[in-house]
Amino acid sequence: MKFATFLLLAAGWMSAQPLRLNLDHLASKASDSVDITLNGSTLQFAAKFLDSKDPDEAKVKKLILGIDGIAIRNFEFKKDGEWSAADAESVRTQLKGPDWSRMVGYKSESDGDAEVYIRTVNQKIAGVAILATSPREFTVVHISGTIDLDSLADLTGHFGMPKIKDARKSSKM
Amino acid sequence: MDRLEAELKQALSRKAPGDGFADRVARAASAEKRVVAFPTPRWAMAAAATVLLGVGGGLAYRQHQGEVAKEQVMQAMRITAVKLSHIQAHVREGRQ
Repeated sequence: MKFATFLLLAAGWMSAQPLRLNLDHLASKASDSVDITLNGSTLQFAAKFLDSKDPDEAKVKKLILGIDGIAIRNFEFKKDGEWSAADAESVRTQLKGPDWSRMVGYKSESDGDAEVYIRTVNQKIAGVAILATSPREFTVVHISGTIDLDSLADLTGHFGMPKIKDARKSSKM
Repeated sequence: MDRLEAELKQALSRKAPGDGFADRVARAASAEKRVVAFPTPRWAMAAAATVLLGVGGGLAYRQHQGEVAKEQVMQAMRITAVKLSHIQAHVREGRQ
């Protein structure tokens, strides 16, 4: 019984940890790469420099209030086959913890594949992960903390992108 | 006795000051005032300047760090928004 409790606690602790994104080997092959890791204190520090009068920055400022950390790995390649299925699986495996659940996903020959996972703790969303791949692109997004999914979805109405009206409904699946 | 008196009179008699005596006195007096007005030693002034430069440099560095952090946050959100946008478009297409 004690061992089972320990395993449950350990599993919960493991799922609360940031994803281990050991994808450095892709950076050397990529023509463009983005590697961003921001913890909570850096995010709150950055929030002081976001302009509330700018619509994009105001939206982001509101969104990052409850976020504990952001990790982004984005690699773009000049030819196909530079990343392997094992790279995607190394991320996917970490999203199979008890708190994580796959919310939505699609496969497309033209646009590649994408999956969205959410982490819930006490019936509240405590993290979001996106794994998006195409033959020449590999992207992992991990946002941890209290996240307002509506606000996150509202980002599509910013950064010059058209807002997708039905998207919010689908993200609540 | 007369000779001694004559010598004393000569020694104590009024003599005209040299040329520029008044200017020299005025210069000496103003130099003395300057010392009283700025008693801070040079090393203290240099230390204050160093501290001011340090504080100013620190603030400028903090501002720079903040701008870098802000740009990273905005870039992270931009990438997230692009990916979410694609996913939402596909999900929407699938539902139609």
